[in-house]
Amino acid sequence: MAPPAQSQRSPSPSQPSGKSEVSDLKSQLRQLAGSRAPGVDDSKRDLFKKVISYMTIGIDVSALFGEMVMCSATSDIVLKKMCYLYVGNYAKVNPDLALLTINFLQKDCQDQDPMIRGLALRSLCSLRVANLVEYLVGPLGLGLKDSNSYVRMVAVIGVLKLYHISASTCIDADFPVILKNLMITDSDTQVVANCLSALQEIWSAEASTSEEASREREGLLSKPIVYFLLNKIREFNEWAQCLVLELAAKYVPSDNNDIFDIMNLLEDRLQHANGAVVLATIKVFLHLTLSMTDVHQQVYERIKAPLLTLVSSGSPEQSYAVLSHLHLLVMRAPFIFSSDYKHFYCQYNEPSYVKKLKLEMLTAVANESNTYEIVTELCEYAANVDIPIARESIRAVGKIALQQYDVNAIVDRLLQFLEMEKDYVTAEALVLVKDLLRKYPQWSHDCIAVVGNISSKNVQEPKAKAALIWMLGEYSQDMQDAPYILEGLIESWDEEHSAEVRLHLLTAVMKCFFKRPPETQKALGAALAAGLADFHQDVHDRALFYYRLLQHNVSVAERVVNPPKQAVSVFADTQSSEIKDRIFDEFNSLSVVYQKPSYMFTDKEHRGPFEFSEELGNLSIAGESADNVVSAQRVEANDKDLLLSTSEKEEAKISTGNDSAYSAPMYDASSVLVTASQTLMEPAISNPTLPGQATQAILAIDDLLGLGIPAAPAPPPPPPQLKLHTRAVLDPATFQQKWRQLPVALSQEYSLSPQGIAALTAPQALLRHMQGHSIQCIASGGQSPNFKFFFFAQKAEEPSNYLVECIINSSSAKAQMKIKADDQSTSQAFSDIFQSALSKFGVP
Amino acid sequence: MPVAASAIYFLNLRGDVLINRLYRDDVGGNMVDAFRMHIMQTKELGTCPVRQIGGCSFFYMRISNVYIVIVVSSNANVACAFKFVVEAVNLFKSYFGGAFDEDAIRNNFVLIYELLDEIMDFGYPQNLSPEILKLYITQEGVRSPFSSKPSDKPVPNATLQVTGAVGWRREGLVYKKNEVFLDIVESVNLLMSSKGSVLRCDVTGKILMKCFLSGMPDLKLGLNDKIGLEKESQLKSRPAKSGKTIELDDVTFHQCVNLTRFNSEKTVSFVPPDGEFELMKYRITEGVNLPFRVLPTIKELGRTRMEVNVKVKSVFGAKMFALGVVIKIPVPKQTAKTSFQVTSGRAKYNAAIDCLVWKIRKFPGQTEPTLSAEVELISTMTEKKSWTRPPIQMEFQVPMFTASGLRVRFLKVWEKSGYNTVEWVRYITKAGSYEIRC
Repeated sequence: MAPPAQSQRSPSPSQPSGKSEVSDLKSQLRQLAGSRAPGVDDSKRDLFKKVISYMTIGIDVSALFGEMVMCSATSDIVLKKMCYLYVGNYAKVNPDLALLTINFLQKDCQDQDPMIRGLALRSLCSLRVANLVEYLVGPLGLGLKDSNSYVRMVAVIGVLKLYHISASTCIDADFPVILKNLMITDSDTQVVANCLSALQEIWSAEASTSEEASREREGLLSKPIVYFLLNKIREFNEWAQCLVLELAAKYVPSDNNDIFDIMNLLEDRLQHANGAVVLATIKVFLHLTLSMTDVHQQVYERIKAPLLTLVSSGSPEQSYAVLSHLHLLVMRAPFIFSSDYKHFYCQYNEPSYVKKLKLEMLTAVANESNTYEIVTELCEYAANVDIPIARESIRAVGKIALQQYDVNAIVDRLLQFLEMEKDYVTAEALVLVKDLLRKYPQWSHDCIAVVGNISSKNVQEPKAKAALIWMLGEYSQDMQDAPYILEGLIESWDEEHSAEVRLHLLTAVMKCFFKRPPETQKALGAALAAGLADFHQDVHDRALFYYRLLQHNVSVAERVVNPPKQAVSVFADTQSSEIKDRIFDEFNSLSVVYQKPSYMFTDKEHRGPFEFSEELGNLSIAGESADNVVSAQRVEANDKDLLLSTSEKEEAKISTGNDSAYSAPMYDASSVLVTASQTLMEPAISNPTLPGQATQAILAIDDLLGLGIPAAPAPPPPPPQLKLHTRAVLDPATFQQKWRQLPVALSQEYSLSPQGIAALTAPQALLRHMQGHSIQCIASGGQSPNFKFFFFAQKAEEPSNYLVECIINSSSAKAQMKIKADDQSTSQAFSDIFQSALSKFGVP
Repeated sequence: MPVAASAIYFLNLRGDVLINRLYRDDVGGNMVDAFRMHIMQTKELGTCPVRQIGGCSFFYMRISNVYIVIVVSSNANVACAFKFVVEAVNLFKSYFGGAFDEDAIRNNFVLIYELLDEIMDFGYPQNLSPEILKLYITQEGVRSPFSSKPSDKPVPNATLQVTGAVGWRREGLVYKKNEVFLDIVESVNLLMSSKGSVLRCDVTGKILMKCFLSGMPDLKLGLNDKIGLEKESQLKSRPAKSGKTIELDDVTFHQCVNLTRFNSEKTVSFVPPDGEFELMKYRITEGVNLPFRVLPTIKELGRTRMEVNVKVKSVFGAKMFALGVVIKIPVPKQTAKTSFQVTSGRAKYNAAIDCLVWKIRKFPGQTEPTLSAEVELISTMTEKKSWTRPPIQMEFQVPMFTASGLRVRFLKVWEKSGYNTVEWVRYITKAGSYEIRC
């Protein structure tokens, strides 16, 4: 998924091709270079403007480098700026030419005009040419000591730039130490703020390799520094205030007085006109008071008004960012906005991304007292012109119904939707009614009466059709026409494109058969015959399975296909609380908008495997018809649910796109109850070993077939001494594939030694250690206290792999491991090796 | 880290780069291609202002006919990034003199490059205050203020201002006539159900000021808000004067307002920036006076005819009047013919937005003009598909009226030279999103 690194886009016909113009400019610049005639600056300026405008539209004007540099000897500041811009743009690709500019830039760094000193220094640091760094150190050192704050401000960021070009040069010149002093002593607040930005970046990057840097990074969070900055906060500009507040949010207060001091100091920041400052302040308040439940609740009360203001002021994009945060907060404390629900009513002209979040807010804040109003309002949107929003609002009504105890009124509303006779409304409502019946079977009578009136011809969407068929099967004894409707559907079997619908049809007709055998027998025969001839593997297999079951014993078949079901009490939550806490830790950042912790989207190592899975999703979209996509994605989602850890489940859900978003809870295999009541999964009850493999469908087809072969009952031979390959290799794609296919061989929790925890300041530290024990890491991520690793190892003699997922929580000193192995018999032996390696971590 | 933007792009609606600035190397060569391919050329455009492509996140905003895109590779602060874009646009506007669009960018690209260099360095926001930047980045591109008069000594002063603390005001300003203009601008948002009950109603107000004052004046503003009045009566230990007091739900202030003093004494005191600025913003949900009531009756007579009657009642004082009143009454797409009768203003059918547009230029208080229209529809084959009625929308401005009832009680100006000032106060209420379902 890496964005295509395309070269400069080819100029369109309307734009000059560039070549002749460039040579024109070249000669003109040459003429002007040496001239000292009056007015020459003006003509230079025009030429420079032309050059810059060509550069902007993507024409390569690097050929003019020499001439531009020659012309740069001027006292005109605008000319200088244009020249600096040009040089900064092309120096990286022309390192040899960049050398030409060093001379005049260095000279400008000593100009008597501080503006020119600053600009030259900034350009010098922006050249980004590694072999020129030696020329940077001197001017930077002088710049940091400059009497003018503009120059110092530029120099501080210059140090950071130098660090990114050559970290060692920057460290060797002791720049971080100078910055640290500057941060405490400088009179100019922007210099101080830039020092803080630079130091945070440098020390965070250094922390993984140098203990000193990691200590320094912690030092930024020490009481004197934090207090020093907070006390000056009013002098900083708004952006620098955000920076300081972000730092303060990470500060660990020593006692309660500390907390109240900071909150008193910052209270007025909640009234700042800049929304970013307000949000940053809110983060400080929330994080400081985490340990004090009462105060934490008061904080929610206090921040409510400013947050609601932020939602309604500013551009829709800003509202979107704020609403994402409100959504996070409301998930943690649903009561805070329950009386302010009217703020989340949608306006007609709002963009759909804002409306969508508002609908989510309305769902989240609904409680006994406001449900009626909220549902009434949501019903208004169901008739909305914007169809996606109309669908979302119907789903919202359904969600509210599933989370409330008193659902009378809501069920009526849903049933009214069914009578609205709009295809998409009916479709959404059917899916909801099905879920509702699974939770409140007592409503079946009312619902079935209405559902029975719906002609299956008016329902085209696979999800809705599947839901309708499920209800036909489940409640066939109450619906007069059920067998005949099913029969009609079976007759048009070949026209049904969605495999999901066909699967449901098979199961429904089976259920119907057990309840009303004489009427259904013919339909069942037809369905099984059609199923056996089906080209889709799943459908074929299920038909065959039912056929054999029936052949074996009809009453057993009934127990398998249509066992008594319990009502679902709680639908599985799609997001683990651990993840939610992680997102909360990263309040006021992208994590909140994406609703996933940052390591999932910023960590390059971690992103690796997922790119693969995303591509897979895209492939299926491209390759198959729309109907199949749904099932393919669903199967994939199932797969991940079973095999991947909770954190990745999120990723999987998101990657499967909107189609499966609302069905997510019902396919969540983490709740057997849910799975069992899903018609797909009925075999689960009679044979507990089946469901894992059965759902893996396409990808794990080998396992499924493997079932047919009687498993070897002989006990495994005693494992020989396990030797690991010292230089094992496995590419991420293979890892990902294996991780999906293999079952979990071992799952263990293990305590870490205190030394190990102490040494675990960053993921990298553990990686090197494990490498020493022939266990390689393929992906890692996280920040203290939660780290996550994927390791692998290979047997020394044969290409047999061990895959490990290891989640370490450094505050509880626990490590959770899941081990998968090609050769399951040796997984225990491998686990021992792994644990012994882990236990040695941090022990000198 | 608040933003650490890796790059910023300005694109026109076709996706051509007008201007770009790469601040960091951590994003791939030409990110703009990714943006074009994955957002601009897909249905994604406009569905979400934050998108992740590859390892980078894109924040984008459309402002007139320009897309502004910020690219980041880290877990950036979204609110800060959008605010930065908004502020940057304000800055550009103050340089261009109003408009910000494709042409303005093309005509001023050198200037924008200069500004982009100053407002952000290596991805970190620096100084975005127009007052200060204008000191050393001028449209004509004259030499920097530091060197223009080397013999003079504004250097320490100017540098402090360039980078620093009292960012909003320069010393040594002189005006012949010292004037202050204060505008209270409220926009009232309403959502009314088809049964005539108010579903949601609030007012967002702002106080805009224009100051032409010499020296370093200290200003103090008194409003008839509840907290301020209560505090005052406490301090002066006498009962609060009777009369309407307003409860503000939430207030935010310009950075010049001394917030500590606001919190302790509940007075708004400040040293104003020179020229135009927004002093404060507030929000009110209780006790809002709606300036207009709209009473629609829409009857669908069979499949091809509709009867629309709308009565609009102005409920503010009879001496006041509203300006630029526009009422948009939605009609179905298949409208063929319309005929109107209005007791005031003019109405016409606008097919582009499927609305009857009724305009009344001057709308006195305590009146109730009506519109009655007959709409003929083309009969369509699709039966039973009932028309989903969008809400009626209304635009207006009512001068000298505040929906919240907020009033300025006093505006005091102190300056050590003790000059006299002239203060001008205006009120105006505008329609925010004023929607009436029917």
